Amino acid sequence: MSLTHIPFATLAQRHLVYAYCAVWLLQFGYAAWIGLQWRKSSYIPRA
Amino acid sequence: MNNTANNSKRIPLWAQAYFLLTLAVLAFGFHKAMTAPTEATMGNLYRVFFYHFPHTILSFVFPYLNCAASFLYLFWRSRNPARARAADAFALASAELTVLYASVGLATGMLWGRAAWGIWWAWDARLTTYLLLWLLYVSYLLLRRFSGDDPGSSNTAVLSAALAVFAAIDIPICYMSIRWWRTQHPSPVFGGGADSGIDPVFFPAVLWNMAAWLLWGAFILGLRYALERRRQRAHSDLSLHTISTPQESL
Repeated sequence: MSLTHIPFATLAQRHLVYAYCAVWLLQFGYAAWIGLQWRKSSYIPRA
Repeated sequence: MNNTANNSKRIPLWAQAYFLLTLAVLAFGFHKAMTAPTEATMGNLYRVFFYHFPHTILSFVFPYLNCAASFLYLFWRSRNPARARAADAFALASAELTVLYASVGLATGMLWGRAAWGIWWAWDARLTTYLLLWLLYVSYLLLRRFSGDDPGSSNTAVLSAALAVFAAIDIPICYMSIRWWRTQHPSPVFGGGADSGIDPVFFPAVLWNMAAWLLWGAFILGLRYALERRRQRAHSDLSLHTISTPQESL
C-alpha cells in the first residue's frame, strides 16, 4: 500500500480512510480544545 | 494582577521533548500500519485494527484511573481538601479521556463493521456494553457540566465520584463480554485462548501503535489535568480576591 496514493474507489477503501481521519480529527481536535482553554485560562486575574 | 508562575505560558522543556517523542512514535506507528502486509481475508480494510485496538484497550484503562481518583477524592475530601481537589481534577481528566478513546473505538468499529459485515451496528454483548460504557462517562461529564455548582464544588465532586465508582462496574463486563458470549463481535485477538492471536508479522504495527496512543493518551491526560488544576487555582484565587476586596458601592 503506497503512502503517495490514497485509494478511494471501494467502500472498504473509503471506510479505511474515514477511520484514520476520524481518529486524527477527534484526538487532535481535543488537544486543540485543551490548548485553547489553556490560553483562555491564563487571563484569569490572580489576587 | 500578578503574573506569577501559575499564569505562566511557558511549557517545561521535558514536556516539549515528550510531545515531540510522542509525535515521532505516532508517525512511525502510522508508517508501520500502512506498510504491514495485506491481510488475506479483509485486504487493506484490516488496517483499521491498528487504530481501533489501542483505542479500545486504553478506553478500558482510563475508567480505572477515574475510579481510583474518585475513591481518593472521597477518602481525602474531609481529611486533606487540597489533595482531594487534585484527585477530583485527575478524575475529570481521566473521564474525558475515557469518552474520547471510547468515541474513537466506537467510530472506527462502526466504520470497520459497515465495510466488513455490511452493518453499522449490532446489539451484541460487546457493542452494547461498550455503548453503555460510553454513555456512563458522557453522563459523568454532563453531571459535572450541568450540576449548577461552581467548578470543583464539593456537591458536584461527591456526586460524580459516586457515579464513577458505579460506572467502573461496566468495564470488566465489557472486557469479558467477547469471552463469555459469542455473538457478532470477533473473539479476542490477545489472551483469548488457543484459537486467538494474530500472525506475528503484524506485531510491530500493533505494538508501535499501542505505544503511540498510550504515549499520546498520557500526554493529553497530563495536559488536561494541568488545565483543571489551573482552573481550580484561578477559581479559588478569584474567590479569595472577591472576599478580600471591599465593595465600593456599599
